[in-house]
Amino acid sequence: MLALESVTYRYAGALRPSLREVSLTLSEGEVVGLAGPSESGKTTLCLVASGLAPRTVGGTLTGRLLLDGDDAAPLAIHQLAGRIGIAFANPATQLSGVADTVYEEIAFGPMNLGLPRDDVIRRTDDALATLRIEALASRHPARLSGGQQQLVAIAGLLALRPELLVLDEPTAQLDPAGSRMVADALARLADGGASILIAEQKTDLLAEICRRVVVLADGAVALEGPAAEVLADPRLEALRVAAPADVRLSRAADVARLPAAQRERLRGAVGS
Amino acid sequence: MTLATVTAVVAVALGGLIGPVILVTVAVLGPALAAGVAGSLIRTTLLLSLPIAISAVLVNLFFFPGGQTVLLQIGPITATAEGLGFALEILARILAISGAITLFYLTTRPGDLVVDLEHRGVSARVAFVANASVQTVPTMVERAGQITAAQRARGLDTEGSVWKRVKGLIPIVAPAVLGSIAEIEERTMALEARGFTRPGRRTLLWHPPDSGAQAIARWLLLAGGVAIVVARAAGWLPWLG
Amino acid sequence: MLVRWIAALVTFAVVAAAGVAIAGGVPEAGQADPITFAFQQVANVLALILGIALLAAIAVYLLLERIQTGANASITTQFTTRTLILMPVAIALNIILGQTVAAALKIPIYLDSIGTILVGVLAGPIAGAATGFLANILWAYVIPPPFQYPPAAAFAIVAAVIGLMAGMAGGLGFLRPRLNRPVGQLVAGGVITAAVIGGLAYLAYLGYTAILGDTNLTPSSDNAIFVILGWVALGLVVATVVGLFALLIFRRDLTATYVVLTGMTTGIVAALISAPIAAGVFGGVTGAGTDFLVAAFRQGGADIEAATLGQGLISDPIDKITTFFVVYLIVSAMARRTVARFPQGEQLLPEGEEPAESGQLEGATA
Repeated sequence: MLALESVTYRYAGALRPSLREVSLTLSEGEVVGLAGPSESGKTTLCLVASGLAPRTVGGTLTGRLLLDGDDAAPLAIHQLAGRIGIAFANPATQLSGVADTVYEEIAFGPMNLGLPRDDVIRRTDDALATLRIEALASRHPARLSGGQQQLVAIAGLLALRPELLVLDEPTAQLDPAGSRMVADALARLADGGASILIAEQKTDLLAEICRRVVVLADGAVALEGPAAEVLADPRLEALRVAAPADVRLSRAADVARLPAAQRERLRGAVGS
Repeated sequence: MTLATVTAVVAVALGGLIGPVILVTVAVLGPALAAGVAGSLIRTTLLLSLPIAISAVLVNLFFFPGGQTVLLQIGPITATAEGLGFALEILARILAISGAITLFYLTTRPGDLVVDLEHRGVSARVAFVANASVQTVPTMVERAGQITAAQRARGLDTEGSVWKRVKGLIPIVAPAVLGSIAEIEERTMALEARGFTRPGRRTLLWHPPDSGAQAIARWLLLAGGVAIVVARAAGWLPWLG
Repeated sequence: MLVRWIAALVTFAVVAAAGVAIAGGVPEAGQADPITFAFQQVANVLALILGIALLAAIAVYLLLERIQTGANASITTQFTTRTLILMPVAIALNIILGQTVAAALKIPIYLDSIGTILVGVLAGPIAGAATGFLANILWAYVIPPPFQYPPAAAFAIVAAVIGLMAGMAGGLGFLRPRLNRPVGQLVAGGVITAAVIGGLAYLAYLGYTAILGDTNLTPSSDNAIFVILGWVALGLVVATVVGLFALLIFRRDLTATYVVLTGMTTGIVAALISAPIAAGVFGGVTGAGTDFLVAAFRQGGADIEAATLGQGLISDPIDKITTFFVVYLIVSAMARRTVARFPQGEQLLPEGEEPAESGQLEGATA
């Protein structure tokens, strides 16, 4: 459904490209994870996938971005807004800044698209219900916790009914409780068949919800494959990616030669 | 409706100039009593006008050139009756303006006003800037407060002489300003990704109700205001001056 | 296209003529009556009339453009999403700083146009003008107390013109850092800067001696307010002067001189336009710290118009030089990438910097 074909991208004024010949495909209903150390191109890839690069942030793009088989190049950013939704790490800067209530905040996107009023209301109600945040509807967005704000941001994207959700390190700036809240919500979305591209440094979240994982290094694809395989791959450490906790504990248990029963208990305790 | 009323009132206040005492009673206190906000109105207006009023009265009382009838003499400074008269006129004018604006503020939520304007055709972008500005002021003040607390924890001296206070402002103002500006890039991306740049009008969830009677009242007020200003300029109503 | 320009020029002429007629046309019995809208001398209001005429002409031009083409292409380049997000920040800056100074500090400057000038410089003249105008309107009507300041609405026109001038200055590259210039240029720049600041300081000194009646420059008086006033004002002026010369000397940045000249010009224009407003609408008193200066001039025997003009010509240039300097510092502190993405960003980067590339999508070739 979304495909990057040999995409090379360079920020304006940068000496080297941030993405080098990256090709990636996402099918409908797939949840793909993006791992890699900082500066490996995860954010850039998210920006390219959503169309913000180069439209909003400048820079030069070579290669193609295909949406349902068609080249996305002639589409303006507001046309892509209804098809791809992107969320970032900082929950506060994603708020529109003009809504007094969470309800209006979520409705912001559909309102911009000029949809009929009943549509706007229905989509907002649906988004609130999907993320189970109806209780927050009349609260002021700026007074919520980080995790709650992030959920509101994602709800705001869902209200646009996008084909694909791109999430750039959504839990990076959240405390553990907030991270948990968002992780649970994302897991439910994934189970419900949403198409998600999620970049994270914390591979635990990727292990939880992704079917496939792509590891980036220096702007190029280093590893790609089913999540369980890639995340257990021994080369991860060389690529400066921390394996998920249960993988690390498994390895530690192997090294310590724990009996199988204890290993199972350990895995059960960790895999929350 | 309140919006139009108040704007018209203010225009009249400026144009009517002297004799705005009548104005204050009719156009400000009247509606205030009707809306039930008279108490807050009086309190807030007086508070708002206080600095200006003090300055105005003092300056004009003592420094009015050409004043003849001496009321009071404090050293080299004399208070004159003409000065007092002028000062009172200015005071009345200030009260009229402040009162009208306060009435507006007390009876209208700024968000409602912007929604109404957008409903009537003002561009969504203007509405955005207006709304965002109103929300940013308290946000920035809060941020400055947080930065102040953080800097105090690092040993910044915020009490003491005036010079120290001015010096102490910089480690607070600079991060607040630069922080807000640094966010602009992220916020631009988030907004554009939510369809902000789509040309044309956007859907509004609601708009303030209006009625024919209110529209008529607005036009009458506007016409009345213009009439009074013209009359004043042409010198037709000297008794108001 | 031609129609629009002609219409704008005609509007300008008509509004200016009408303004002059109103100002000079109302019969006066030879007394300075500051209470009515009728001013005795047209000269007092000329700047104001021209300012209004200018804004009216711009409005007519834009209106016609919209009617003819359904859009306003001439200014939409200035109002990118980035600009629209910067404007609320700038407006908030105006209001917070301006209110603090006007209500709490009682010093004879305003500091309420930092946001306006920032937007003008980064985004363009119309964006700057819109920011100034909107900021003042919101400040007066919409922002709740304790930040509300009703007199601001009357000066919305001044704010708009300030934004306009800042935008032009930015667009002409006046605020582009000019580092590592040869000593000769720096010396020339230093001399000009010193001359301007010295001239303004001398005028201010004259003003203060008129109030306090003594020739000692350090503020000392029985009235504590004047002392604090004097010290803080001195402090700010000194800080700006020191900063400007530091730029010249340590970073060998010639733009310091441009900052001073731009600030002074903008300040003078602002004073000319706002004096009649302050005199006619408020009797010269707006509740800010500048009222003391007005009082002093009045005691010296000046009528209201002259008093407000005198006060303005002292306060405004200092205020605007300081403001432009602060804006220059802010832009210098911003990341290059961010500055470059603003409509006038390229005119604000040091010479030789690679300009931002627009959102290019290329085909298969690099």
